[in-house]
Amino acid sequence: MNLDQVDIRDAFFDQLYLRGSENENIVVLSADMDAFSLRKFSKDFPDQYINVGVSEQNMINIAAGLALSGKTVFCYSIASFATLRCYEQIKVNLCSLNLPVAIIGAGAGFSFGYDGPTHHGLQDLSSMRLLPEMSILELSSNELAQKAVDFSIDNEGPIYIRLDKGPFPEWKESEISFEKGFRILKPLNQINLISNGFMTRTTLDVAKRLTSNGIDCGVIDLFRVKPPPDKLYEEIICKSKKIITIEESCKTGGLGTCLSELVAQTENSCQLQVIGTPDRQFIEYGHRGWFHKKYGLDEMGIFDAIINNI
Amino acid sequence: LASLYYDGFIRIDPKTPKDPNRDYFIMGKGHACLALYPILLDLGFISKERYFEYGKNGSTLGGQLDVTIPGVEYNTGSLGHALGICAGIAKAAQMDGRDSRAIALIGDAECDEGAIWEAIMYAAQQNLNNLVCIIDRNRLSVTQVIESEVLFGDFEAKMNLFQWDCHVIDGHNYNEIFEAFDKATVANRPTMILANTIKGKGVSFMENNVKWHHTMPSENEIKIAREELRITSDNI
Repeated sequence: MNLDQVDIRDAFFDQLYLRGSENENIVVLSADMDAFSLRKFSKDFPDQYINVGVSEQNMINIAAGLALSGKTVFCYSIASFATLRCYEQIKVNLCSLNLPVAIIGAGAGFSFGYDGPTHHGLQDLSSMRLLPEMSILELSSNELAQKAVDFSIDNEGPIYIRLDKGPFPEWKESEISFEKGFRILKPLNQINLISNGFMTRTTLDVAKRLTSNGIDCGVIDLFRVKPPPDKLYEEIICKSKKIITIEESCKTGGLGTCLSELVAQTENSCQLQVIGTPDRQFIEYGHRGWFHKKYGLDEMGIFDAIINNI
Repeated sequence: LASLYYDGFIRIDPKTPKDPNRDYFIMGKGHACLALYPILLDLGFISKERYFEYGKNGSTLGGQLDVTIPGVEYNTGSLGHALGICAGIAKAAQMDGRDSRAIALIGDAECDEGAIWEAIMYAAQQNLNNLVCIIDRNRLSVTQVIESEVLFGDFEAKMNLFQWDCHVIDGHNYNEIFEAFDKATVANRPTMILANTIKGKGVSFMENNVKWHHTMPSENEIKIAREELRITSDNI
C-alpha cells in the first residue's frame, strides 16, 4: 500500500518491525496499548515484545533496566499516561542516566475526546520539555513517522514522540532532516506560522485562507521541538516580523512557550501570537473536531484569531 | 553488603566493572552509601583520593550513589525504582542468554512505594529467577518506627502467593545470609530476602533510635562508639 494512505501508527510500527527484524536488541514495551501493526511485531518477535500491563511506572523502570543492558527500547502507551503517570521514573531512570529509550505517546490532544481530561494529551509536550536530556518529536506525516523510527534508534538518549492516528500524507518536495529539526512548507514571509503534528495540515489551510484575504504567510513544520533547532533562530525568528504558533496542547509550556523563549532573545521587534488550548482541564466530552471548533483550533477559529490580532 | 561483596555473591571485577556478564547490584537505599564507599575503596573500584573527597564542596562522592562511580549502576536518591530497574536488567540477561544476576537492596520504609509492587508482579510473571531483592528490615524510617505488620507480617507466605521464593533471616547472621544467597542461586523463581536488622547495631545509644538516621556524632560519641565496637586507632 502507498505510504500516504496508511495510518500514521502503522507507518511508524511497520518501520519499527523492519528494524526489529534486523536487530534483536530492539525491544518494544507496551502498557496494555495496542496498534494494528504492533500486533505483527509482537506475534513475529515475541522475544522482543513485552506487554507490561497497566503499569506505566514499571514500564519505564523495565525499559531503564533493559537499556542499561544494551537494548534499544520503545515504550508505547497513551500520551497522557506515558508521560505524567511515570514522570519521576522518566526524569531519574531514563534522563539522568541518558538511556536510549523512546516513549511513544498515542492520543495527541483531543484524540480521546470522549474520555475526559485523564486521556487528553495536552500536557505531554510541556511536561517532557522540562526534562533536560529529553528530545521531543511531533510528527505531521507518515514519512516523518517512518524516519522518526530510524532517528530514535540512532539517538543516544531518551526521546518522546507524539504519535497521532489516521493517514498523514506527505507534502511533495519537502525535505526531512532531524538534524535541522524543521521544514518550510510554504515560503517564508513577514508573518510566519509555526506548527507541527496534526495541526500542520490545518495551519496550511489557514495560510491558504489568509492568502486569499490578502495576507501572505510562511508555514513551518517544527517537528523537533526539543532540543530546539539551532537554525530556527537565525533562519526563521530573525527574519520574521510576526510568528504565530499553532498547537493542540496547553499554551503553558508547549510549542508557543518554546518559541517565546527564542523570540525573547531577538533584538528586532518580532511579535509572537500563541494559539493553543487554555491552561485548564476539560471535563466535557465530544469528538476531536468538536473540541477544535469550540476552542478555536479549527481552520476558521485560527483564521479569526489571527485576523483579529493583526 | 560485606557478604555480598566479599563472599562472591556479586560477581563483578573492579578491573572490568562494565563486563556484560557481571552481576548488577543496585542499592536502592543509596543514602546508605557510606557503608558502601569503604568496600568500593577496599576492592579497588575507587581511589583513596576520591574516597577522601567525601563531604567536601565539589566532591565526586556524595550522599547518594551515581554512575560516575565504577561499579555503581544507577543514580540513587529517589526511592522505589531499584527493583523495577533490576527486573529490566534480569529480563535483558535472560533475553541474551547471559547468566548475570540482578540484585536490589531496598529499605523497608521504601516498600510503601507502589512501583515496587508493580515490579514484584512483573518479575513473577516473567519468571525472573536471576533477580534477588533484599529488604533491609530495620523497622525505622526517617521519622518513625514502623510498627505496623500490615505489610511485613507473615511476609514469607505473602511473597509465596506472589510466586516469589522468600527467606526471612537475621541480617546480622552470616550463616543465615549465606544460606539465603545459596538458595537464591539455584532458585526457579525470583527471590526475596527479608533481612531483619538493627539500625546502629553495636553502638548502644544508636541502636533502634530514629535520631541516628541522619545525625553527626559528637567527638565524645565517636569515642564511645569506637570503644563499643572495639575499634582502635590501629584498625581504622
